[in-house]
Amino acid sequence: MYTLELKVNGRAYKVEVKATTTLLQVLREKLGITSPKIGCETGDCGACSVLVNGKLVKACITNALTVQGKEVLTVEGLGRPGALHPLQLAFHEHYAAQCGFCTPGMLMAAKALLDENPKPTREEVKEALSGNLCRCTGYVKIVDAVLAAAGKKA
Amino acid sequence: MSGGEFYRASSVQEALDLLAKYGAKAHVLAGGTDIMVKVNRRQLAPEVLVYIGECGLNYIKDLGDKVVIGGATPFAEILRSDVVKKKLPLLAEAVKHIGTPAIRNVGTIGGNLVTASPAADSSVPLLALGASVKLASKSGERVVPLEGFFKGPGETVRKPDELLVEVIVPVPDKDLKFAYHKIGRRKAGTLSVVAGAVVFKAEGAPRGTALARDQACYFEKCTQARVVLNAVAPTPLVAKRASALLEGSALDAELIAKIAKTAAEETSPIDDVRASAWYRRQASEGLVKSLLERIVA
Repeated sequence: MYTLELKVNGRAYKVEVKATTTLLQVLREKLGITSPKIGCETGDCGACSVLVNGKLVKACITNALTVQGKEVLTVEGLGRPGALHPLQLAFHEHYAAQCGFCTPGMLMAAKALLDENPKPTREEVKEALSGNLCRCTGYVKIVDAVLAAAGKKA
Repeated sequence: MSGGEFYRASSVQEALDLLAKYGAKAHVLAGGTDIMVKVNRRQLAPEVLVYIGECGLNYIKDLGDKVVIGGATPFAEILRSDVVKKKLPLLAEAVKHIGTPAIRNVGTIGGNLVTASPAADSSVPLLALGASVKLASKSGERVVPLEGFFKGPGETVRKPDELLVEVIVPVPDKDLKFAYHKIGRRKAGTLSVVAGAVVFKAEGAPRGTALARDQACYFEKCTQARVVLNAVAPTPLVAKRASALLEGSALDAELIAKIAKTAAEETSPIDDVRASAWYRRQASEGLVKSLLERIVA
């Protein structure tokens, strides 16, 4: 076993992991942070998307020990009840969630986009969300929500 | 055994020491986009992981007549690089179609090559540009042309104690003509059914383009010609006979058709979940034809 030290949503943690433990397993099973979902576990569906040092990654195929000393952001750190992040508000206002399984990953992918490109075009939003699958919405409302949130202050 | 050992190399030297010590037991981990998928599918239980993501192999250097890319450079960095955009536009174009943003953030060029999938995305532009890879071990370094690097699905000439430290890409002439296209089952985040690139240098002005399409000679002489395909053979494929047809020739519609047909004949595809062998061969011909037509259009 190895000791992994990392920050998640601003809080420091120290956990024991194996050489092949994934970041997703650490978040869900060790820390009880369950917004990142277990979907495909092959890096395809994006339901586990989180930010590591501001960069979008798929937690299911991120070896936990490569996150040593880094900062992870999940939806739990994005906003709070009563103080939602503009993206969360926009998703709410545009009915961008149906079953909700993909939503945390969508939010994090959208956050990564807006951090780098605050005023994206519709095409750029689609490209940024291309690694996140949604089987309910047909994507239109999700893209609408991201465009609506673009430019608003976090 | 509780899941093997993990080593974080803090320098290339340390990585080479670890590979010398553990040899074939060791799996080199960079972005993990291939290895961790295999771990999750229980196809791989590595005894030793050597992590090279933070050992100084993330760089893009402009050396004038060549661009050198560190083995652990993620595709997102390559996509962002002004040097690549300016000097290797074919590579820049192909990298756009690799994976999805989160995959490109961590997936590396060296990892893509060493995994040696017949569908390796980066192999197509790199083979078309005549790239080489530098392999380092404790006992020294060697530079291998990428064309001789792949041996079969998942197999390369890399020895267990060697690390792919650099990809060396000669900078082509500014007027090198090129086209790239990837055919997949969906637009993003997909492995190719077949992807291809065609490059050549055109000498002599196009003539006769005002004539009917089937009579036009687009370029009087083509040189430095390469036709490359992936996912249609055990390794990424330089279609040698198709390339030879183009080399030194005047390019017209008849030759375009002949090159496309020849390239398809050089493939040896298989049936898999993405496409049938029959489809891949048909698609190869259509792809090469459309790439050439895109260049002359």
